[in-house]
Amino acid sequence: MRESLFVLLIAATLSALLWRLLRSRQQMSEEVRRLLERNQANFLPLHCRYFAQVRQALAVPDERYLRGRVALPIVKRALRERRQVAIKFLAGLHEDFSNLERLGRAIAVLSPAIDRQQEMERLVLGLRFRVLYAWVWLRLSTGNVPLPAIENLTGLVGRLATQMQQAMLAIDVMSAGRLDTNVNA
Amino acid sequence: MHILGVPLVVTTLTAGLEVSLCILLYVRRGYQRLPLFSAYVAVALANILVIGVVYLSFGFQSRVSFYAYWIASGVQIMARSFAIAELCRYKLRAYRGIWSLTCIVLLTLTVLFLTHASIDAYGQSYWIKSFVLTVERDLGITSAVILLAVLLIRNYYGLEFDAFPKQIAMGMCILCLVEAVGNTIMRQAILGYMQDWSHLRPLVDNIYTFWAGVHSAGFLISLGVWCFALRKTLPASAPDPVLLPVETYGQLSPQINFQLRAINQRLLEMLKP
Repeated sequence: MRESLFVLLIAATLSALLWRLLRSRQQMSEEVRRLLERNQANFLPLHCRYFAQVRQALAVPDERYLRGRVALPIVKRALRERRQVAIKFLAGLHEDFSNLERLGRAIAVLSPAIDRQQEMERLVLGLRFRVLYAWVWLRLSTGNVPLPAIENLTGLVGRLATQMQQAMLAIDVMSAGRLDTNVNA
Repeated sequence: MHILGVPLVVTTLTAGLEVSLCILLYVRRGYQRLPLFSAYVAVALANILVIGVVYLSFGFQSRVSFYAYWIASGVQIMARSFAIAELCRYKLRAYRGIWSLTCIVLLTLTVLFLTHASIDAYGQSYWIKSFVLTVERDLGITSAVILLAVLLIRNYYGLEFDAFPKQIAMGMCILCLVEAVGNTIMRQAILGYMQDWSHLRPLVDNIYTFWAGVHSAGFLISLGVWCFALRKTLPASAPDPVLLPVETYGQLSPQINFQLRAINQRLLEMLKP
């Protein structure tokens, strides 16, 4: 009886998972196609480009200035709004991370040979990021993360974006050369 | 012996749907896309006809009928396994890197589940009978898990199925899961009553009848889903992708992972007091 229940439970779980997977819409296939069309800009981090404006909004001197000049309720409201900006910005960074991740997968999909360890590492990194992101989001929402820490994170994503852009340019050059060879052949 | 307790109308309906499916596969040229699945449908139709003829000629309780049923079941299970393998391979083979990774995952899962079936059956006192039932049950679960693994890999890499193979996979999953659950109940019933077989034979026959009904219902639903998948002309198949040079992955993948690692590290630092 216990075995039957166990198998029924497995069957129900598998059915639910399969149903969800079979109903999901095509997403990455479109992006893979876009990569094929060399429109890789969609994969590169975007939100960190607006960091200058966000940094201004989150600047510590601004906060000090506010505390010295205006009434406490207004300061609280301003700080709350700044936290909201930070949370939205964190969501943007999440998108940037996801885009980088998708770029990695798209390259793996279009590669004739892949490294199992690299793929496994990316999978683990993605899971880890999601856990960390949820934790940071929670702490930011409760006001426990100093805003300058977000600044550090954003600076990092920005630098990485530049590196990625250079790498993508290298791919373009390589792919163009290969296509020329195919056409000539 | 499943057919014994199944009403004639269900058997006729199954045969009718199988004939319709064969015709649809031919008319829509589904056999060109999924030849092994088409072969499986043809085998299932041939089985129902052959077993019907054997039952009518030799009677339900004869030894010939017994062997005919089990041989036909074995052939059908093999054909289904090939059809599932074809679904796993469908359009994924063109992406050579991902396909090699998928093969390793699927082989590991298959070996794991089949080993489990053997170990599970070996400990039983009536282990040969129990082995057949355990393997049947585990084949059902293994097939569903394999399809799930392929769908997960496809979903992760954004290489989802077209509508036609997707609906075929859906029907296959229904069939496999219904069989897995049914075989577990059957296995328990048979192992439980094997000690006193003659005394409880009517009860076991009732369980057989019930199981035959459940199995037929599952198969009918799957046939319905497959016929539905072929209701319209199949769209033209997409051409194979143009792959990137081998060195691109070697250059970019470590960089991307490095960047992802660095972002995680920074997030972790943010959490430190």
